[in-house]
Amino acid sequence: MFDIMFSSLYAMLTSPQTMGLMLIGVFCGLLVGVVPGIGGRLSIALAIPFVFGMEKVAGAVFLLTMHAVNGTSGQISSIMFGVPGDGDDAATTIDGYPMAKKGEAGRALGASVTASGVGGVFGAAVLALMIPVIEPVVMAFSPAEFFLMAMLGITFIAFLAGGGQIFKGIIVGFLGLILATVGTDPYTGTPRFAGDYLFLWDGLSLVTAVLAVFAIPEMIALAVRGGSISSVSHETAKFSYRQLFEGVLEVPRNWWLAVRCSVIGSVVGMIPGLGSNTAAWLAYGHAVQTSKTPERFGKGAVEGVMAPEFSSNAREGGSLLPTLFFGIPGSSGMAVLMGAFIILGIQPGPTMMTQEMPLVWTLIWALVVGNLIAVGFLMVIMRWAAVLTFVNGAMLVPFIIVLAVVGSYVNEGQWENLVVLVIISVVGYGMLRFNWPRAPFVIGLVLGRVSEESLHKALGLWGWQFFLRPLSLILVGLIVLTIAFAIYKNTRPSKNLSQLSVAQ
Amino acid sequence: MMSTLSKYSNSFMTLLMLAIFGSMVLVASRYPAGARFMPFVLGFPALALCFLQLFLDARERHATKQAQGKSDVELAEERVSKAVGHEVHFDVGNILIPAEEGLSQGEQLRREAIAWSYFLALIVGIVLFGFHTAVPVFIVAFLRFRAKASWLLTLGLTAIACFVLFYAFEYVLHITLHTGFITDRILESMGG
Repeated sequence: MFDIMFSSLYAMLTSPQTMGLMLIGVFCGLLVGVVPGIGGRLSIALAIPFVFGMEKVAGAVFLLTMHAVNGTSGQISSIMFGVPGDGDDAATTIDGYPMAKKGEAGRALGASVTASGVGGVFGAAVLALMIPVIEPVVMAFSPAEFFLMAMLGITFIAFLAGGGQIFKGIIVGFLGLILATVGTDPYTGTPRFAGDYLFLWDGLSLVTAVLAVFAIPEMIALAVRGGSISSVSHETAKFSYRQLFEGVLEVPRNWWLAVRCSVIGSVVGMIPGLGSNTAAWLAYGHAVQTSKTPERFGKGAVEGVMAPEFSSNAREGGSLLPTLFFGIPGSSGMAVLMGAFIILGIQPGPTMMTQEMPLVWTLIWALVVGNLIAVGFLMVIMRWAAVLTFVNGAMLVPFIIVLAVVGSYVNEGQWENLVVLVIISVVGYGMLRFNWPRAPFVIGLVLGRVSEESLHKALGLWGWQFFLRPLSLILVGLIVLTIAFAIYKNTRPSKNLSQLSVAQ
Repeated sequence: MMSTLSKYSNSFMTLLMLAIFGSMVLVASRYPAGARFMPFVLGFPALALCFLQLFLDARERHATKQAQGKSDVELAEERVSKAVGHEVHFDVGNILIPAEEGLSQGEQLRREAIAWSYFLALIVGIVLFGFHTAVPVFIVAFLRFRAKASWLLTLGLTAIACFVLFYAFEYVLHITLHTGFITDRILESMGG
């Protein structure tokens, strides 16, 4: 194991292409992360066309580092202007913004960026340590379990959208699965839902579908909303580099908090469906509970800034575990990333354990090195990156739309894909407008072919009895439990109280 | 008419999904047994889920109608009162974040129509006139008339974006972008 571990690191560090792409990935990830409203999923979707046809290790490293460092720069707007870049940055805002208002923005930023980097490295270490533990579980899986894992993945991702939305999420997941059947049937050779359109005989373009569901609807919504993303005064965006360094030193001073919160984040990441918000808020709650002076929290406690950052970035490493080895994305961002991996020719599942261990180790190292580069990079460009928060949303729209349209075209070089882009964008915008979850669609589309193949194999081996295999029963039980819990969560009387506490 | 539409708006997507799954199952029924197997395995449960969602949408509409005019706090008080068996009042002072003011429905639809028109114009433009013509025109039009950027900024940003885009795809990645059916015809007629 150790030879693969270190040879992967050596190969990565000595490959100018991989390292160059990692640097570009870090830079793009930080830039996208700092602009509130443009999330990690969108950045991955937009980057897919550029990695199409690229060597799989280099492409995967580029996408993973871009995704992993997204949250690192998200806290700039949370701390400086009280505008969370993403959902999990909201916890950082609670103490970060009061610190900025007290004139300690630099200290808060230094602490949070370093905490984020340390969390990311810790998450990668946890992922590495878990590999020998889960190996026997992965190897025990048969086609029956893989079909059910796809169903479980969709259920988990649907659950991520919120308890009350679970049926909407499952419907959207089924839409992805059924659209994956478009194209020539592998068993009878019949072109399904393709008619005389030859470009559809190979199936629906995954790149086009991902761009249509995420990029175009987001940009149309941004164009409708209009105006500047952040409406806060530029005056707050002032800090000194001395303060920044003081903040960095807060992390070694609070090393025990770093370990505990990173463990929380990694564990939350391994459980699909818990979401990034959960990791950040659990860590924040833990920091408050274990503090000797809990009354400082909410008024500018530096531990309150670091705890969510340790946790939410450690989560990335944790959520790679179900994504890579079981094909169940740990988060909606991982769902899009998994789609991108499949486009690159990486098939998540047990083969990752048997044939692709060098790639797995490269990805783990990419998380470590990418996070370290991001921290160093951000320390230097922080002052200028903050300005991006004030970019007028309407100015970004045409460029991102053009990028999405070009991406959709270059993937197969067929203009017909632009028509498909428009059609799926209409459905995608409908989902966004009426608050339907979109991530299950990508999972369905990505897992469609594999689950069809697995179902056919399972039926051939055991008939419908495959549902009664012990592991299958466990997976069916998990699906039922997830749906039952979502229904319970949605109908229990305290629902409005929890909403109230969020508002507070 | 508008109010009836907005009343049932929470079911729009469910009905769209129902239509998609219904038509896919219908089309699949004409395929040989092996080919229609997966669309049926997915399509029928999905149709059942859509009907369930329609029922949930109707329940949600009913609940919203009852809750109309009540604040979040009043709703929470009502739920807790029901749970504990006696009347409960929360003293929350002014700690609640006021709800974000949204656009009026008419304004929202108008802006959506404009945004979609720009996007559709870009796609039609690319198919007919190609990327090299449609992309710069789209960026200039959007920046100048939607983002209200100055002419200088508009032209500068468009020039940079087009240079980077076409350079990256055509010279670095060696990908030929669609040249457009009308442009091709014009070039052909000119002997190009």
